[in-house]
Amino acid sequence: MESFFSRYRNLVVLLAALLLQVIGLAVQVRKPGPSSGSEPVLAASQKDGRSVRLIRLWAAEMVTPFERAIHGSGQGMTGLWSNYIDLRNIRNQNKELLQTVDRLRLEQATLREDALQGQRLQGLLKFQESYIYKTTAAQVIGTSGSIQNHVIWLDKGSDDGLAQDDAVITPDGIVGKVREAFSHTAQVLMISDQTSGAGVVLETTRIRGILRGNAAGQPQVVNILADQRIQRGEHVLTAGGDQIFPRGLPVGVVERVEQDRERGSFINVIIKPAANLQHLDEVLVITSLQAHLSAQEQADLTTSEELKGAEVAAEAARKKAAAEMAERLPGLTDPNDPNAPKAAAGADAKKADGSQPASGPPLPPVAPKPLQPKHADRFSPGASDSTGSAEDSSDAPATEDGGAKAVTPKPGKPKSANPKPTNPKPTNPKPTNPKQPGGNTAGRLQ
Amino acid sequence: MQAYIPDYRRDLEIRRYPLYVYVLVPLAALVLQAWLPRLVGRFAYMDLPLLVTIYFALNRRSPIHGTVLGAVLGMAQDGLTQGAIGIHGIANTVCGFLSASIGIRIVVENNLIRMFLNFAFTLLSSAIVVFIVRILLGLDWQSNWLDELFRAVGNAVIGLALFPLLDRTQVRD
Repeated sequence: MESFFSRYRNLVVLLAALLLQVIGLAVQVRKPGPSSGSEPVLAASQKDGRSVRLIRLWAAEMVTPFERAIHGSGQGMTGLWSNYIDLRNIRNQNKELLQTVDRLRLEQATLREDALQGQRLQGLLKFQESYIYKTTAAQVIGTSGSIQNHVIWLDKGSDDGLAQDDAVITPDGIVGKVREAFSHTAQVLMISDQTSGAGVVLETTRIRGILRGNAAGQPQVVNILADQRIQRGEHVLTAGGDQIFPRGLPVGVVERVEQDRERGSFINVIIKPAANLQHLDEVLVITSLQAHLSAQEQADLTTSEELKGAEVAAEAARKKAAAEMAERLPGLTDPNDPNAPKAAAGADAKKADGSQPASGPPLPPVAPKPLQPKHADRFSPGASDSTGSAEDSSDAPATEDGGAKAVTPKPGKPKSANPKPTNPKPTNPKPTNPKQPGGNTAGRLQ
Repeated sequence: MQAYIPDYRRDLEIRRYPLYVYVLVPLAALVLQAWLPRLVGRFAYMDLPLLVTIYFALNRRSPIHGTVLGAVLGMAQDGLTQGAIGIHGIANTVCGFLSASIGIRIVVENNLIRMFLNFAFTLLSSAIVVFIVRILLGLDWQSNWLDELFRAVGNAVIGLALFPLLDRTQVRD
């Protein structure tokens, strides 16, 4: 046995190394579920196991410090000269920039207030939307080193707030998503990789699809039914349905359309990415899609709200003064009529039903109802006929002098004191029958 | 006495290197492989860890050394990608073992032979990677063979300059 191993030790070592790695591969490949299709899924593309993550961490810790040093020294060398140039006139620029920052802070607070209000309204409408609230700038310090794997490494990690599945963008367009975040570094899977995926929508045709890379390293929208409307140069935006990229971020423009070789009725739309994926220096990582305002931003927002609140308060005071003035003027309503709101409501209902014309002749004023006497006699309104209608009782004072004097409660609002309505609008709270201009109160009792 | 001649000849031809070379050169290969694509973009047609594996396997003439070095460097390469750990590891393991096995039998100081070996082993590595991904793992993975061809050519050219440089680091008795 010993001679066998000594004779074939090279082969034994080779087979052992291969066997271990094949077993490792088998562990990393997840068995497809019943609803995930027939193809196996690489566990590494979902979430690494502990041991796999450890290997990646070792590889990253082994390589990234040198990459960071190379990147830093290169930046330092190029920055020496440029910093000297920048120092000139820096004081004036700084003063101007500070003024601009102050102005922009107020503008930003106002816009944020509007955005929050819009989100609240959208929340009421069950409208799902996400907004970029916080980004972290990071430097690209390395790549995967493989043509087939479109991965970049950032100099920021979980200690800087980065987390798995954070969207990575540039001001030009999207770049990819954080696949793995270690303490000081992060691995980003770019949209040009074959294992990536992002929901996108074509801007003009509103055709939705999934963005992924092809063998040539170009992002493409796959699984789209052949459509003649897709033209070269059409803009492609993020659709927002993947819970990673906010909606509406630029992805690129349509470069060409290719027939799917395996499925003839489908096409692949090759995209020219908006961000320069080949030469990335700085990227922005979207670390928060929720509103987490800093103390300064909160203070700015409060200031903006107070300013806007002062305007609202002034408007409310103006309206209140107008209302008080309107109360002092002769009114059309009888404050003592217990049926007034009901009648008004009924009138509104009629108006809503369309039975009452919105515009018509001015309505006559309504006579105020007299107060009930303490010691009613036969001359008292309504006493002559206990079962009489209110119409009779209201008409009684007008026909008998003594009674009229005794029961007229409001001299300032006699029946004839307001021969013309002060408010001819159709929104009169006391709509009466226009056919009874004599102040018929029957309508109030109905 | 005759039975020891092959081993004796092999021992004579084994090149030895200082320990720091075994550490620093593979590490530099990994760092440069990860960093240079930032400068040249997608035209980084090279595989420096594979070149280093081939070089040490050829010159050490030990299949075990070649196997272990190839496995370690390949797995480190996999660690920098998003793919499964072991794809490049298996490819580099096989290439390291075959390089050492061939290095025992042929003269590897000739630049033309080195160039051809680098070209062939790079293509073999690409083929193994495609085999693992598409057959073993069953993933829907498209490969661009033109890129792989350019990578093999790039490795062959870079090897012409890199191997003589590494030759200077060997320990001479």
